[in-house]
Amino acid sequence: MNEAETPIVQLRNVSKKIGSKTIISQLSFDVPRGEVFGFLGPNGAGKTTTIRMMVGLMSITEGEIHIEGASVSRDFEKAIEHVGAIVENPEMYKFLTGYQNLMHYARMRNGIAKERIDEVVALVGLSNRIHEKVKTYSLGMRQRLGVAQALLHRPSLLILDEPTNGLDPAGIRELRDYLRKLSREENIAVVVSSHLLSEMELMCDKVAIIQNGKLIDVRAVKGDQLEGSAGIVQLEADPIEQALEIAKAFDDSIDAAIQDGKLRVTLNREDIPKLNAQLVEAGIKVYSIQTTTKSLEDTFLEMTGGDQIA
Amino acid sequence: MLNLIRNENMKLYRRPRTWIMFGIVLGLYAFVMLMMHFFTNETMTDNWRDRYEQDRQHLSETLNANGASPGNEQLTQELMKIEYALEHDIPPVHATMWSGVMDSTGFIILVTIMTVVVAGDIVASEFTWGTIKMLLIRPASRAKILLSKYLASFLFALLLLLALLSFSIVLNGILTGFSGFGQPMLTVNDAGDKVEEVSLLGNVLKAYALSTVELIMFVTMSFMISSVFRSSALAIALSIVALLLGYLVTLNLAMYFDWAKYLLFANTDLTQHLEGRPLIEGMTMTFSIAMLAIYFAAFNFFSWLFFTKRDVAS
Repeated sequence: MNEAETPIVQLRNVSKKIGSKTIISQLSFDVPRGEVFGFLGPNGAGKTTTIRMMVGLMSITEGEIHIEGASVSRDFEKAIEHVGAIVENPEMYKFLTGYQNLMHYARMRNGIAKERIDEVVALVGLSNRIHEKVKTYSLGMRQRLGVAQALLHRPSLLILDEPTNGLDPAGIRELRDYLRKLSREENIAVVVSSHLLSEMELMCDKVAIIQNGKLIDVRAVKGDQLEGSAGIVQLEADPIEQALEIAKAFDDSIDAAIQDGKLRVTLNREDIPKLNAQLVEAGIKVYSIQTTTKSLEDTFLEMTGGDQIA
Repeated sequence: MLNLIRNENMKLYRRPRTWIMFGIVLGLYAFVMLMMHFFTNETMTDNWRDRYEQDRQHLSETLNANGASPGNEQLTQELMKIEYALEHDIPPVHATMWSGVMDSTGFIILVTIMTVVVAGDIVASEFTWGTIKMLLIRPASRAKILLSKYLASFLFALLLLLALLSFSIVLNGILTGFSGFGQPMLTVNDAGDKVEEVSLLGNVLKAYALSTVELIMFVTMSFMISSVFRSSALAIALSIVALLLGYLVTLNLAMYFDWAKYLLFANTDLTQHLEGRPLIEGMTMTFSIAMLAIYFAAFNFFSWLFFTKRDVAS
């Protein structure tokens, strides 16, 4: 295997025990290059613990985590060389300016020139305020500064724990677009964790779902939809009972029902116009067709079985 | 490593708090010096010769009257110094600017307290701010980060000590018109037959150096509590209480128990051995230095152990 194909992060049978309690048990997965990898799970599932083990804030009880081939537990300084991260909130020294904060982190690595700091500052759009004290920054600006410090050394892996915490919708959108761009253009792998499912759907190429410290599934996310799952289509039609019959006749296995005065059917995307054509042929007035994709949320709840906290 | 210390210095000196500490130490010192200068009537500056003549006469009479008594040696040395001073026209130390400079050694405890505050905060505050999570995910080992913080604390102490010393020289120089600036201090040599001139500044420096023993021990202790418990309040409070009460408690214990000599506080004052008056019979300079070294190593070991091994969970 050449370098481009080896996964940037490899977790092998990783477990974390605190006292006699097992927080993470036998976690194994790979994060490939150039992808946004989502880490999804309810609160208390062990997302943050796993991320903390990846960046060396917590020790690994059993198993191995390799980043660019270097073991986090045995060769920490080499492994962390390639990593830029924000763990939980981007905490900064509030009494220092944004620039001094970046200076601080730049000094902890070799070979970060002043030009690189200016470049990163421009990249996250903080040029006008960078010489002001961080305590005057809004949360969004702190988040940008957090991204800036993580990118200073051109990492090949970016780890963000709950990156959208406290961001407004515009900020979330911006961050999402930005992460996508980074992963595509610079071939950076991005690992994000979140409990906000709708966001992960929009942001990630792949998601790993964990619950109670165990890996439940790793899935690819295609567009706005999980691969292989059918969408739910809502039709506003008149007369609706007749429409329901036609929909049922359309496919034996179809799941159709009337809900809130609308026809609700589960359909694959390519079948939507076919059903519509049949309805129109039968003289039914179709006022609107709305696809509500079966969201990651539904899948997630299906898989994790709802509400229990570990 | 150098960069890590630069980082710690930046975080320290960019905070107004640090400069307030400088202000408190130097301000209090200036206040006391000015009070003494303007409200103490007795100035020995002009009539020290008359005083010395009287003292000489008085001492000679006492010595003659005593015959051979145990206190004589000290009195003889005193007399020798007075005669030497009169002969060579050297005013007594407390009649010169050096009196005030000597007094500044009494303010070193304030430097210790301030450094205890800095050291007690330097690790714990990273945890309070949450910045520890940013700090530890860089290619610098935890041990190096800890060491840089430890060294930065002592650089602060050194800076504050230097500031206090130079400020005291300048302030007293101005107040007294630099009287006796280049003058020596008189001591009697070991054989007891000759008066020698030693540097006054050297003597002040020696006093400063001796008091840093206490500073180093208490700062190391505060630093340890800070990195073990990750709480600056606890580190600062415990260390200052120990600093203020530790010796007193040990003094009381020493009256009843011999093991009190193994306590840290029984050994921090090394002058007890220079003056030949150990707190507990049988303690020697070597013993005290060995005890201090053991405490020093233990404190640093626990700092290192807890800082490098424990998970950052919060």
